[in-house]
Amino acid sequence: MAADTSDVTAGFGQVSRTAGRVFRALLLAATLFGIVFVTILLLYVANDAIQPLTADPGWHLTFFLTLVVPTAGVGAFVYRRSQAAFQTGMLALGFVAVALLFSGGAAMLFIDIVRPLTWLAVVVALAVPAAIAVGVTAYDQRLPFLARFGVTTAAFYLSLFGLPGPLGTVASWLSQLGLPIPLGATLGSVRLVPSVVDVVSGVPVAPAPWLMLVATVGGPIGVVAGHAVARDRGRRARVAASSAFLAVVAVAGVVGPAVGVTPVPAVVVAAVGVVPPAAYAADVAVNAPRERVGLAVPATVIVGSLVGAGIVSVVGLAGPQSWVDWAFLTSAHSTNAESAGFYPSIGGSILLMLSVAVLAFPVGVGAAIYLEEYAPDNWLTRVIDVNISNLAGVPSVVYGLLGFGLFVTHLNRPAGTVLIGGATLGLLILPIIIISAREAIRSVPEAQRAASDGMGATKWQTVRNVVLPRSFSGILTGTILALGRAIGETAPLIMIGAPTIKFSLPTQVSETVTAMPLQVYAWSSLYATPDFYTKVVPAGVVVLVTVLLAMNSVAIVLRNKYQSHD
Amino acid sequence: MTENTAETADESSDGGVTATTGAATTTPTTPPEPVIRARDLDVFYGSERALESVDIDIPEQQVTAIIGPSGCGKSTFLRCINRMNDRIDAARIDGDLTLRGTNVYDAAVDPVALRRRVGMVFQEPNPFPKSIYDNVAYGLEIQDVEGDHDEIVEQSLRRAALWDEVSHQLDSSGVALSGGQQQRLCIARAIAPDPEVLLMDEPASALDPVATSQVEDLIEELAEEYTVVIVTHNMQQAARISDKTAVFLTGGKLVEFGDTDQIFENPEHQRVEEYITGKFG
Repeated sequence: MAADTSDVTAGFGQVSRTAGRVFRALLLAATLFGIVFVTILLLYVANDAIQPLTADPGWHLTFFLTLVVPTAGVGAFVYRRSQAAFQTGMLALGFVAVALLFSGGAAMLFIDIVRPLTWLAVVVALAVPAAIAVGVTAYDQRLPFLARFGVTTAAFYLSLFGLPGPLGTVASWLSQLGLPIPLGATLGSVRLVPSVVDVVSGVPVAPAPWLMLVATVGGPIGVVAGHAVARDRGRRARVAASSAFLAVVAVAGVVGPAVGVTPVPAVVVAAVGVVPPAAYAADVAVNAPRERVGLAVPATVIVGSLVGAGIVSVVGLAGPQSWVDWAFLTSAHSTNAESAGFYPSIGGSILLMLSVAVLAFPVGVGAAIYLEEYAPDNWLTRVIDVNISNLAGVPSVVYGLLGFGLFVTHLNRPAGTVLIGGATLGLLILPIIIISAREAIRSVPEAQRAASDGMGATKWQTVRNVVLPRSFSGILTGTILALGRAIGETAPLIMIGAPTIKFSLPTQVSETVTAMPLQVYAWSSLYATPDFYTKVVPAGVVVLVTVLLAMNSVAIVLRNKYQSHD
Repeated sequence: MTENTAETADESSDGGVTATTGAATTTPTTPPEPVIRARDLDVFYGSERALESVDIDIPEQQVTAIIGPSGCGKSTFLRCINRMNDRIDAARIDGDLTLRGTNVYDAAVDPVALRRRVGMVFQEPNPFPKSIYDNVAYGLEIQDVEGDHDEIVEQSLRRAALWDEVSHQLDSSGVALSGGQQQRLCIARAIAPDPEVLLMDEPASALDPVATSQVEDLIEELAEEYTVVIVTHNMQQAARISDKTAVFLTGGKLVEFGDTDQIFENPEHQRVEEYITGKFG
């Protein structure tokens, strides 16, 4: 029998795969090389910052029993029942974490940077002309385009700036330079027509700040959430769901003080951190019955954490002596490592990111649309193409030099402000936004453009109705990833003269600002005592990396959603 | 003309082109002014010639089929009619192509305006990732068509024989439909703004046999109101649904153009007969 078998397989012996195996092992090593080293470093840093081993063993045991064991059990159960449900559950869990992080940032914005009344004034000043624009477009299609455009622009200008507004300031500058402009000198100082912003922020009696936030923040978020949950269930259900979410936000403002949170942050955290994940959970529960069971995972984690925290505080088990604690997140720098905090840097980074997004997104996306859809294929376009890729590789310190030379030296703006920092970082990530937005626009199938063109659409109609809606989430993903690059930059901020240490948050774009990487740099160089560089620096790095990961996770979720739609 | 149309329709409903009738060989009386007239039309892609001196008169409210082997220029000709070739930078067009007497390549003709009068259905179904309603209403929106859009959308979906299948789900995505439904949705989208001519570039080649026969039935009905020009790879399809057939052969030449019955039963050219009987191509 054995002899027979060997005869049969005589021509089918083993072919050597040694070289292939070695090659495969090398490829695996190359893949893991960076990941492993960065992971080890981050574990070290996290250990230094959080110091989990300083906690009471009973503390670890309590959370192990209330949080880890139930979560593992429920997770395994859900995973075996349905992988889709498990994914939904993990997404909901991540949503809760990211939403709470973002709500912290938003609360900071309304506590220390923007007065709620000013915010209300800006919202009203934007809503009034937006309503006019919608009305003009919907009810008077016969008006020529230029008339509609003029009316809309004038409405926005009047509402935001009044008369003469910034144009008057420009006119007075020009008349100082010797240009013959009638009334030039006075235009900069007088105010003929007050703007809506001025009118609203000047009202003598305003409602309580938290009530204004319920209306301006909770209102829109509640409406969006309510429509998402009850989208297929008719108008009445949508109104009911929206009102319910709005009510949650309003109740937070009333209940907050009772549990020791002032009303303003309570409202903001409820609106930004609680309502969106709750809406997601409600959406799954109502509209995706088969994935409903996945919600057990986030529920277990939340309940487990609360129960664990309750037991720990009742029994009196000491937690880890973490350097990333509430005081670190909410206080400013101090020469004493124990009381040094990160607050102005966190807020500064958030403000810088907002201004970078506002400045770089429209320009970058505009350039990408032009290059992909309108630019003729000639040598000039090809030169621009190649050089945008080159710009993405220019060292960031050079962009810092550009920002300083352009804005501070030439335009004579004060150094190190939010506006200058945002503009400089915006220039830095502009090529990255352009490249990723072009990629997203290019991924719109040619057949879609042909379908639109074949219907007799103009270029603009095709871009607006077909190309942009389809590439928008890709563009957004690329922009968020580019912002992630900007948030970690130190060199350009040093070059434009941003202070490494600030003790308060800027309340205007023309005030100086610091950022998280700058503060970390200051701690590790200027205050290089052992406590600073072994405890405070790791704590800062943990916060910085957490914010970065939160931003990137939004980008990744967007990208997955976008890919599954194709 | 009308007798001929009726006969062709009768024959195709019998499912055969083999039955010979005497009428097929007689030349019809001089037709009225053709909708589309090409004279000495040449198209080049760079230095490569895709069409060579094409002369053709496409009559009104009939189905004209364009057949030929791969790469013979039949799609190129179709795309000349609504100037979709303009979208290719390397394409160059010589000669005359008139739509109701106006040269469509005249400098004063806006290709966007032309495409609003000449609808097009593509080989692969290409609905937009929008709702079914928004897909059909797309042309109405971008062309600012007057009238009740809800009603036009319903009419177009009825004419495209899709209304009964989608009337309860107009808000759901057009991309979620089956391939055959998607193609009928694209046809509804093309006819919604009421074009004068409907161009179809192998509209059934990506569909299964059932969906193909539904689309073919639809094309025959559409010919009652529209002038339909259809490119097809499938000779049986051309024989079944068309009134006139144009045969392009390699090199971008229009070799023979005439009544469908005559082309399929008694072609004048040896090479057309060889192509139709499957000796090549």
